[in-house]
Amino acid sequence: MNRMPKSATLELNPALLEAAKFDQEPQWFADLRQAAWDQAPDLALPDFAKINYRHWPLLDFAASGTANETVPAEIAAQQDEYNFVSVSNATVKLTLPADLAAQGVVFCDLATAVKEHGDLLQQYLLTKAIKADEDRLTAVNAALMTTGFFLYVPANVTIKAPISILQVQDSRQASNFVSHSVIVGGDNSNFQVLQRVTTVGEEKNPASLAVEVITLPGSHVKFSSLDSLGEQTHAYFNRRGHLERDSEIDWTMGVLNDGNTIADFDSDLKGAGSHAEVQTVAISTGKQTQGIDTSVTNYGKHSEGNILQRGVLLEKSALVFNGVGKIIHGAHGAQAQQENRILMLSPEARGDANPILLIDENDVIAGHAASVGRVDQGQMYYLMSRGLTKEVAQRLVILGFLGVVLSEIPVASVRDQMIAMIERKLINGQRAE
Amino acid sequence: MATLKVTDLHVSVSDDEEKTQREILKGVNLTLNTGETHAIMGPNGTGKSTLSETIMGNPNYIVTKGDVTLDGESILGKPVDERARAGLFLAMQYPAEIKGITNAEFMRAAINARRPEDDPISIRAFLKELDKNIGVLNMSDEMTERYLNEGFSGGEKKRNEILQLMMIKPKFAILDEIDSGLDIDALQVVAKGVNEMASPDFGMLMITHYQRLLNYIHPDQVHVMMDGRIVKTGDFSLAQELEAKGYAGLRDELGLDVNLVDDDVPTGNGDE
Repeated sequence: MNRMPKSATLELNPALLEAAKFDQEPQWFADLRQAAWDQAPDLALPDFAKINYRHWPLLDFAASGTANETVPAEIAAQQDEYNFVSVSNATVKLTLPADLAAQGVVFCDLATAVKEHGDLLQQYLLTKAIKADEDRLTAVNAALMTTGFFLYVPANVTIKAPISILQVQDSRQASNFVSHSVIVGGDNSNFQVLQRVTTVGEEKNPASLAVEVITLPGSHVKFSSLDSLGEQTHAYFNRRGHLERDSEIDWTMGVLNDGNTIADFDSDLKGAGSHAEVQTVAISTGKQTQGIDTSVTNYGKHSEGNILQRGVLLEKSALVFNGVGKIIHGAHGAQAQQENRILMLSPEARGDANPILLIDENDVIAGHAASVGRVDQGQMYYLMSRGLTKEVAQRLVILGFLGVVLSEIPVASVRDQMIAMIERKLINGQRAE
Repeated sequence: MATLKVTDLHVSVSDDEEKTQREILKGVNLTLNTGETHAIMGPNGTGKSTLSETIMGNPNYIVTKGDVTLDGESILGKPVDERARAGLFLAMQYPAEIKGITNAEFMRAAINARRPEDDPISIRAFLKELDKNIGVLNMSDEMTERYLNEGFSGGEKKRNEILQLMMIKPKFAILDEIDSGLDIDALQVVAKGVNEMASPDFGMLMITHYQRLLNYIHPDQVHVMMDGRIVKTGDFSLAQELEAKGYAGLRDELGLDVNLVDDDVPTGNGDE
């Protein structure tokens, strides 16, 4: 474990740090970057059980690169559906309804937040949810972050329409996509966020994407994400919730990337009565490997965390769900449940569903279920006996299998988009078999 | 007129554990034309379900001899979905339960599987037909939005099979013990749905233990099956005769050496 293959070592090219800096960065932020940069080489890579990603070029950042200023047509066409659109490091759209601004809602890109909302951002950026010095990947993300957004919803503000974000990795050329976003739900606030992450272009690039969601007492955040990074992208995701007393985060995440992915989805139930629902859908196709660690840690009394994950594998792909339920001593009355299920459509695919329970408290309710299986032949026969082709029957069974998660997606347009994307992946994967 | 013809059909099932094959059907002959209703009666384990599953194309059943043709063309080389699109339908004894797919969604996909890809049935036309048929079957609207057979009672599943039959409108339908587990009221409702299907372009094969069903759906021909063969064919009066004598009586009359308590033979669609 301590032996680091060469490709995983971070080459300390100071040009990377220099290139990442925003114009006129305030000192506190420059210091934060520098500290993370200095620590990175000595920190270990995080462990993802049953996934060997250490040879992936996750840290092969482009030393220099000229930004392509044009917004791709397919992105421009979708712009209307989003409040925020960024391509690589450039923010191409940002709107915030006037009534929300009047209520004190802050919504801007990371560079603006650093400059204009430093006092607020500083309280939450890498202080509560993710820590820069956890491991090498968090440190590199902190040192090199160049894009992302900051959403702050003040106490008692309820937002009905989801705040929707589209972030585009620009792989039309060699480029670095290091995103760090912070969402803060003030006391008793209530809102929804949708994060879409996608790639344009075919260049081989790494992506590092972190999101911190901090929910202050009594707040309720619904966070949905739909990730579809490109086949040539090696991606690291880290989405982390820090939940204070009686707050709730409902995560619904579609991990539909075409390239290799490791993802860390964590919820720290710090406050008493805090509650996280984590639902993930993942599809692996081709030769890709996706490893997803989803963990919920109960610190608070009567905190509740539920994980529900569904994955589908086609062709020669691999998918690993590690579900970690951790209950810290003193979390009386905590609840932790998880269910991880994987369906394999190809004999050459490799799927793994590992529930890991670490419980250091007696007065709790915890449980898990996991399975890795194939499409039920009885179901296939039944559907086909009504005239459906094998391909259509298979897609129906799979959508049905994923349906328990899909039906929970709060925003109908996101749900439809996710279903369309899943169908496209299945059709492509079936064609290849 | 279309014709479904079974000729000298021999079918085996393999036992994976014992690595053996056992012959269930031992030479079945049957001709069913559209416009006709036939019933196959027989004691448990004589191969009635094997016959229906083999005609439909369940891959668990191996044809060792004979043929099944639709309008003169053999269907044995065709997978189940092609047979379905060619006009066959099997109302199953044990329909699969599938989570996440609604009944309505499924039926629309099944109808569209029979239509050109660029000409799917309009939602309006589909819903109109669906409303009409659930009315006939006394089903609630809510049933169509539930997941396919998921959590359905035995009776609800049977009704749902008939609903699919009515929506899909095949040329030939095989009803495999559609009466089992139905109380008399439900049986009447199901029979009403089946009778609505009657047309010169529709042929039906009913498989049942009991004469009771035949009081509601009148067959043109009744076949009695024992030990993998059709041993006697007649009209409705044969069913009444059976009711009076029992299968053992008929067996003795025909002088057959058949064990009637042969309940270790698999029936159903292979998942039981």
